Amino acid sequence: MRKRVSLWSWLLLPGTVWMSIFFITSLLLVTALSFGTTDDLGTPHFGNSLSNWAEVFAPVYRTVILRSLGYAFITAVLCLLIAYPVAYAIARHGGRWKNALIAAIVVPFFANYLVRMYGWAVVLSDEGPLLGLARKLGAPDDWRILHTGFGVIAGLVYGFVVFMILPLYAAMERMDSAVIEAGRDLYGGPLRTFLFVTVPATRQGALAGLVLVFLPAMGDFVSAQFLGGPDQIMIGNLIQSKFFDGQNWPLGSALTMLLMIVLLIAMAGYLRRARKDEQEAWQ
Amino acid sequence: MRKPRTAFAFTVLFFVLLYLPVAVVVLFSFNSQKSLTVYEGFSLRWYEAFFADEALIESLGMSLRVSLVAMVGSLVLGVALALGLVRARGKLGLYAGFIMLVPLITPEIVTGVASLLLFKGLGIPLSTMTVMIAEITFSISYVTVILRSRVAALNREVEEAAIDLGATRWQALLLVTLPALLPSILASGVLIFALVFDDFVLAFFTTGVTPQPLSVRIYSAIRFGIQPTINAVGTLMLLGSIALIGLALLIPRFFGRRGGLSILSGE
Repeated sequence: MRKRVSLWSWLLLPGTVWMSIFFITSLLLVTALSFGTTDDLGTPHFGNSLSNWAEVFAPVYRTVILRSLGYAFITAVLCLLIAYPVAYAIARHGGRWKNALIAAIVVPFFANYLVRMYGWAVVLSDEGPLLGLARKLGAPDDWRILHTGFGVIAGLVYGFVVFMILPLYAAMERMDSAVIEAGRDLYGGPLRTFLFVTVPATRQGALAGLVLVFLPAMGDFVSAQFLGGPDQIMIGNLIQSKFFDGQNWPLGSALTMLLMIVLLIAMAGYLRRARKDEQEAWQ
Repeated sequence: MRKPRTAFAFTVLFFVLLYLPVAVVVLFSFNSQKSLTVYEGFSLRWYEAFFADEALIESLGMSLRVSLVAMVGSLVLGVALALGLVRARGKLGLYAGFIMLVPLITPEIVTGVASLLLFKGLGIPLSTMTVMIAEITFSISYVTVILRSRVAALNREVEEAAIDLGATRWQALLLVTLPALLPSILASGVLIFALVFDDFVLAFFTTGVTPQPLSVRIYSAIRFGIQPTINAVGTLMLLGSIALIGLALLIPRFFGRRGGLSILSGE
């Protein structure tokens, strides 16, 4: 018996060592450098200064951080509102096309992210089909989507909505359709049945989806760059500029750590909530 | 059951908007003129321009090499990790289970920054190799998550039988366990290849100046004024991705098992 245990432990070793060096150590390095300084040439040095952390909360950066939180939150909620009817239609009425329809949602997600974002920017542009249609329907000529907050959010939604649809669809698949029938019998209206039966029954899928969308949306910098303007930059754009244009690595590290901390808090909140739900479900 | 018309109409609208950007890219990749808003006739000039562009072809080659190495590297480490996580007991297993999950909740930009700092800190110049290392690190978690449930579902009795018949632990592993996992291993490998090939953020933070991965090149092209060649590249990459997903879904069937979407969700 002793020998078997050691074989499986040996198998753990290479991957664990690799991840410890290239992942854990590198994260610790970011943490350490967030307390560092730069000299006059912009070369980063380790240190124990809190100046980067103080700077991160200065008004200039605070605005960007709050904006990123707002964009990511609105994106997650919009994805939820979009995904519910889509997942519902496919799970409940997709019939034998169910798998094909879900595959059809996944396929564009596998197209290159940059190319998709760029295609979306063309669609949403001033000369694009959407605004053209809106103008024909009587929208004012000065309506813009690109270079607005709405444009950035539209980009994030387009980029990550699939992360909401998949868990929600899975939750609806697991649902017992008899529950819906019962809801119909008791409440009557399809909307009320949806709100009071389907939504509570799929809450865990929705919660998972909110986290899965919020996480990448919060760290994204491509959407703000391709679909936003200078007034829509997000924390990802700040990080990118500190490492490539501004060459202030310690400040960039502090911003990176802050992003990580925000997401860990969101994740912890989700796990607590999910565990509570699970306990209630067992009672 | 009554059909919810509003939800249907909404779903149709959703699919239209989902495919519109992709359709625009594909359509304008065949445009005879440079315009990105007016379609003026069919031509293959942007495809010719792509294949004539040595820098882009060099980038394509680099992306293929990176994806291949990342696929093989993360499979070797990830399969071993998945086996160990399911079967090993003790503190190492707990630690390994933890560090394998952290990358999944870490945004890519954080991984990118962290990798960049590590390579600079170790004095390793940024090159194709640094991209490969970063992509392996990023892919291991995916491989492990996908394969963990498959390992747990294996029937241990077959291995026990092999050992009773005189096989060593390693022989049982190589001749019984791994062949049983082969369809899942191949399918997740194909998925990793596709993910790494399309990956931009990590590649952006860890690549040297020349050559650059294709996605980084696309980023620069879009950022500094778009060339229609990008439409052609995007279309080719889309075709490649579709082929790879199709392959990943079909692999289990080659082995006479039920294929399906479960490989995509890792369930």
